[in-house]
Amino acid sequence: MISPLSTTAARSVRRAGLLWAVALVLVVIAAIALPAFRTPVSINSLLAALAPIVLISVGQAIAVLYGGIDLSVGAVAGLSTVVLSLHTLVPGGAPVAVLLALAAGLLIGVLNGAGVIAGINPLLMTFAMAGVVQGLALLLQSTPDAAVPFDLVRVFSVKVGPVPVFAIVALVALVLAWLWMSQSRLGRVVQAAGYDQRIAVRLGFPVRRATIVAFALAGLLAAMGGLAIVTRTFAADALVGSSSIIDSIATVLVAGIVITGGVGSILSVLPAAVIIAVVGQIITLTGTDAYYQTIFKGLLLLAAMGVYQLAGKGIRLPWRLRGAAIITKEAAR
Amino acid sequence: MNRVRSTLARVPAQLWVAYGLVLACLLLLALSTTGGLSPDRVLRILSNAAPLGVVAIAQTIVIINRGIDLSVGPIMNTAGIMVALLSVQPGATLAGTIAVVLVAGAAIGLVNGVLLAYTRIPPLLGTLATAAIIQGVYSLITRGQPKGTIPGELRDLADGRILGSAFSGSLVVWLVLLVVVGVLLSRTVAGRRFYAVGTSPRASWLSGVPVRSHTLVAYIASGMLAALAGVLLIAYSGSPSLTAADNYALNSVVAAVIGGAALSGGAGGMVGTFAGVAVLSLLTTVLNSFNVPSAVQLIVNGTVLIAMLFVNGRILGSRRR
Repeated sequence: MISPLSTTAARSVRRAGLLWAVALVLVVIAAIALPAFRTPVSINSLLAALAPIVLISVGQAIAVLYGGIDLSVGAVAGLSTVVLSLHTLVPGGAPVAVLLALAAGLLIGVLNGAGVIAGINPLLMTFAMAGVVQGLALLLQSTPDAAVPFDLVRVFSVKVGPVPVFAIVALVALVLAWLWMSQSRLGRVVQAAGYDQRIAVRLGFPVRRATIVAFALAGLLAAMGGLAIVTRTFAADALVGSSSIIDSIATVLVAGIVITGGVGSILSVLPAAVIIAVVGQIITLTGTDAYYQTIFKGLLLLAAMGVYQLAGKGIRLPWRLRGAAIITKEAAR
Repeated sequence: MNRVRSTLARVPAQLWVAYGLVLACLLLLALSTTGGLSPDRVLRILSNAAPLGVVAIAQTIVIINRGIDLSVGPIMNTAGIMVALLSVQPGATLAGTIAVVLVAGAAIGLVNGVLLAYTRIPPLLGTLATAAIIQGVYSLITRGQPKGTIPGELRDLADGRILGSAFSGSLVVWLVLLVVVGVLLSRTVAGRRFYAVGTSPRASWLSGVPVRSHTLVAYIASGMLAALAGVLLIAYSGSPSLTAADNYALNSVVAAVIGGAALSGGAGGMVGTFAGVAVLSLLTTVLNSFNVPSAVQLIVNGTVLIAMLFVNGRILGSRRR
């Protein structure tokens, strides 16, 4: 039976076919070449590393589809680990701290959205917000008596077979975000605004609401990503998400989501995240210097932008010679 | 009289806001601390801000040209690490070391420039990527632990006073660069073309401006100035670090934006950027005198950036209407 939903899914997978193939081949090669890669411990740690990347990248994908970029995701992830560690200070203990961490992410996202509506460029708004949030997280981190609630984190790091529970949460979040983006009215408004904000406004779409919701979701997912990081590190660290910015942007670009907004599928975030996580795992398992990972991500970011540009379906920018510093719809006109 | 009035009328509104903020910060400083407003103290504050001042010049050039350079922080760290490494080589001279470091900075800038002038990669993402690569490379080479020591003459650049006056070497370097770059940008044809390219690359290209070479030069200058800022920073701090300059990308953008630079290109200048650096350094001093932790300064700087983006957006918006 052909439903609109399966058509959308099939089209998304077909478009990103090469990406799925590369991810699959990479996993197979790693499994054959590295016996250590096949062990349950390694698979578990791979999936645990995958969860925060997927969560944060899905949030980033929503922001990019809207036509912005969220540079505050790393700081928000750091803040959410710190808020979790304050569980002894809030009434209600650890579960309330989790809710507070998620609420903080949501609130920061809403503020980002409000700034964008007020006419501030999304990149700069989230860039400045990243400074504010990181400062806040560093400040809260020095609170005495702050400690990660071990009981709760142990609940979070429960495994279903070799699969950590947060990997399942991440997968569910990915599918839900994809369904929302491709099937719901507001999700399509987000994409329309990303494709051409001026036309979306003139058609009377609720672009303002879409702006707030897009950035709020990016903030919420970044906060969830922070909680997923805690299940691996068992520590509150305001700076833990500093690599998440480049990770998530690289993932989104590799997933083929067009950086100027409106075009791409959230479903492709999964193979892209798998590629990044598997390469990270290979670097760890072969004992290669971890610093190579930073270099690899930078090169991957450049390569992803270069490839999609060459493929001609990427970066729509104002004119042939050079683009704006930051992609503004005004500059694109 | 009329001439004065017409000159005043031509001063952009952003500059009034920027210097208003400087005045407010000076007032805060005078009211909040016992040291008050002695010229010597203000000069010392500015002298310590010289690394930020130089890197803000770099950032302003790039922003005028409708770009942004997020790799300035890692370039500054690279410069510091290189200075410490090269200074302990046998037969190293300070001038030779600084020359090598500046060339290295210019080379990184050239890579940025080629990347951004000849492809359609957005500058923010392109320089974010090169920043990550530079960070990875120097972490790999130093194994996370930068070695070497700083020659005493270099420390004098930041600490010493020239001829007994209140001016330190780094302050003079910064102010001279500010004037030279300011004159080049506003009084020469090649300099004014940076504004033209930033305002409308297409129109500039159609009127025969070599757009790509202006972009290249902007990023090369940015890399070189960032390297110089790194030298000034290590002269001030005294030891190489992998992370010391990490906040300089944010702070240099904040300084340029306070000074009226618009990220859409074609606006901003040295007069404004000086005010931006002054505001940030005075604000930091005021906060330090209240024993406010450095985390709060991050919050304040971020908030100031958001507020200035909002205000400058309104000013630009009202002019367009």
